[in-house]
Amino acid sequence: MATRVAFENTGEIGVFAALTNGYCLTGINRSENFYSVFEAELSAHIPVIHATVAGCRFVGRTTVGNRRGLLVPNTTTDQELAHLRNSLPDSVVVQRVEERLSALGNIVCCNDHVALVHPDIDRETEDVISDVLGVEVFRQIVGGQALVGSYCKFSNQGGMVHPRTTVEDIEELSSLLQVPLVAGTVNRGSDVLGGGLIVNDWASFVGLDTTSTEISVIENIFRLSGAGGGSGGQLGAQGQQSNIVTNMRSSLIDQLS
Amino acid sequence: MEMSQSLHTFAADPLQSTMAGGTAATILCCICATPIAPNPSNTCPSCLASQSDVTRGISTEAQLHQCRGCSRWHQDAGKWIGCELESRELMALCLTNVSGLKKRKGEGDRVRLVDAAWVWTEPHSMRLKIRLTIQREVLTGTILQQSFIVEFVVRNQQCVECQAAFRTGSWKSLVQVRQRVNHKRTFLYLEQLILKHGAHRGCLSIETFKDGMDFYFPDRGKAGRFISFLEDVVPMKVKASKKLIGTDDKSNVSNYKYTNLVEIAGVCKDDLLFLPKKLARSIGNINRLVLVKNISNVINVIDPITGQTGIIESDAYWRDPFRPVITAARTRLTRYVVLGKDAVFLERNHSKKAVGRKQRSKLATITAARESDLGMNDSQIEDRSHLGYLLKSGDVCLGYDMRDCQLVDDEAEDLRTAGRMPDIVVVRKLYGGVAAGEADAARKRMFKLQKLDIKKGEENEKKGKKARKDVEMERADEEDFMQELEADKEMRTRVNVFKSEVVAATNTTEDNDGDAEEGEDEDDQKISLDELLDNLVLDAKPDEDDEMVAAEESAIPGMMLVREGERAARDNIRYIGRDEALNVQARDTAVVSSEWGKEFES
Repeated sequence: MATRVAFENTGEIGVFAALTNGYCLTGINRSENFYSVFEAELSAHIPVIHATVAGCRFVGRTTVGNRRGLLVPNTTTDQELAHLRNSLPDSVVVQRVEERLSALGNIVCCNDHVALVHPDIDRETEDVISDVLGVEVFRQIVGGQALVGSYCKFSNQGGMVHPRTTVEDIEELSSLLQVPLVAGTVNRGSDVLGGGLIVNDWASFVGLDTTSTEISVIENIFRLSGAGGGSGGQLGAQGQQSNIVTNMRSSLIDQLS
Repeated sequence: MEMSQSLHTFAADPLQSTMAGGTAATILCCICATPIAPNPSNTCPSCLASQSDVTRGISTEAQLHQCRGCSRWHQDAGKWIGCELESRELMALCLTNVSGLKKRKGEGDRVRLVDAAWVWTEPHSMRLKIRLTIQREVLTGTILQQSFIVEFVVRNQQCVECQAAFRTGSWKSLVQVRQRVNHKRTFLYLEQLILKHGAHRGCLSIETFKDGMDFYFPDRGKAGRFISFLEDVVPMKVKASKKLIGTDDKSNVSNYKYTNLVEIAGVCKDDLLFLPKKLARSIGNINRLVLVKNISNVINVIDPITGQTGIIESDAYWRDPFRPVITAARTRLTRYVVLGKDAVFLERNHSKKAVGRKQRSKLATITAARESDLGMNDSQIEDRSHLGYLLKSGDVCLGYDMRDCQLVDDEAEDLRTAGRMPDIVVVRKLYGGVAAGEADAARKRMFKLQKLDIKKGEENEKKGKKARKDVEMERADEEDFMQELEADKEMRTRVNVFKSEVVAATNTTEDNDGDAEEGEDEDDQKISLDELLDNLVLDAKPDEDDEMVAAEESAIPGMMLVREGERAARDNIRYIGRDEALNVQARDTAVVSSEWGKEFES
């Protein structure tokens, strides 16, 4: 189920929040409306945490993570780091990254298995990503855009890429990521998917401008419809299907790697 | 890898239909879910068009004002321009009248006009239609292009000039030109000068009165220009006055009507003057009895006995105005036949250094007899004349008979009775048919003149005998003026003289005649063919012709000179013809344009 949210007056909610299968970070807003939307949807399953990075509230763009870990830029203060470590479950490793391109959310896009990264990032960063997040790292561009974090979004179920991505590229990426991909938009035609969309395996939030068409595309590709609260809820036909796919995938990955 | 491929196909199955072949993926329009190729707004054209109106703020109806009198179009601020239908100029006028096309200050999204075409309209519908194609950037990088029709209602509105023509009292400034003499020759001459110099441009109307003419002007400047023209061509003085029509105290604006009374010196060409002693001294101690040679902004006089000339400045005249002792009226002029002449050799003033050039005297002693005396008696007159060089025995000339006339000036009359005046003052030589005394001389004249469009003043609208007499007088004045012109080359150079039909008919014979005569007597004042202007269709009945043309056009509307769309094609403007126009929608749906089109310039 995709929920429409607005942060203050903007639909670019991916800038102010980060969502993984293990936790959710939200930026600090003057009112609690933004936070409470996430809290209402997610707090039963995962912690929803107020966070800042280097005193700034655009945590969605500066951090990247999955259920195994969270990477923060080197501008993060010790206090913030301590807060994150305290608030996050123990299973999540929080790690500072010494990367010149400090908006990690823009240059990295990942699920629990694979990550696409900006072609220009450091070798060390690449190692850290694969170690901390436990993913395979691919240097890639999407739809002619190097900022893969901004222009594509994928979970373990599926993914969405920049609308200008060619069919061939989509097929290639799809085989790389082992998830179905589709070209799409959010926020009434915006191609900045990382900005307008935050998603994990069983929940998604989209900018307030997003049309129902876009939501239906998102729900389809991320297998959200009918899945309800994914992790403990009743699984529909699609949920079952996605379960199979997930299980198959892990075995497949085992086979292939 | 094979496996993953199949997995992808399987998983993406529900959305597979949105992906089209080729390299570009198909996405769903974010509003209506139609599969489309990705574009900057990721919205299908119809949704874009429905969401953002490209023609927003652009009026699709406007008004044009046309003057029914002169068919000109109102441009702006009271300016009227004449332009043909379908022409480029009219399109430009239409486009300036479409509000919202022009970029306004501080307005970000500008509209770009990429095409404009004429659409056929029923000729009598008083409508003009143009089809505009515009482009506008609706979202960053997304250019929408849309065509729509703008309809212009053509309203009738009289232009200032036509208003003036239909309404009395629209004038602002009046120039009353007056000359207190009992003939019209000065004004006939003035008319020709005005025509030659185009001085009547801007004049609303011209009226003629008993002793002058009125010129009406729409503003003071034009009247001022006209007066300064008059200053250059006649000796005159001006008296200006103004009349308050209305005043607005609050804005300190007053509305006046200005009247300028221009009085022309009462001295005309060929008048005989008896100068005041002081004046005669001041212009080279000239003889007091002088003949007016011609009138420009000064009065040129000549002593008929010695050939001495002098100039009376305009202000010198007005300081001490005088009347001529004999005015050149036809009653005062007598026809003489020249019987013989003797050259006169003048005593030169030897104290002058410049003796080198041998001055040819134009004087001659003329022996003449009154034409009426021929065959009656043998009375002959012998006297000197400044026109002596022109005359030869057998010629006919006009002159003042000083033996039996009464001079109004006492001093002059005393001199005359004392016999200290010439017996005859020759005024001008007669030429052609006039000299021979033919009845149709005027009709056979080889030249003719243009006419101004002059209205009769109210004073002149008399009835019966008096009116007939006036007309007769006027004809006589005209004839006198023509004779004057005929005998004065210098005067002819200042006006436009045209060939008459007579010349066209009997071209060769006349020419030969003239040549033969000219060789004989070295007459430099005689009119010759080559000083006449061609071209000359004097439209005697302008109104009739116009009506004919107008009638032709209105009778057969299909038989227009220019076919529909022809003019537009000449001006390189697209024209949507009658049949096509039926299918043209008032507003097309917008389409997404990949790039800005070339801007339409008009």
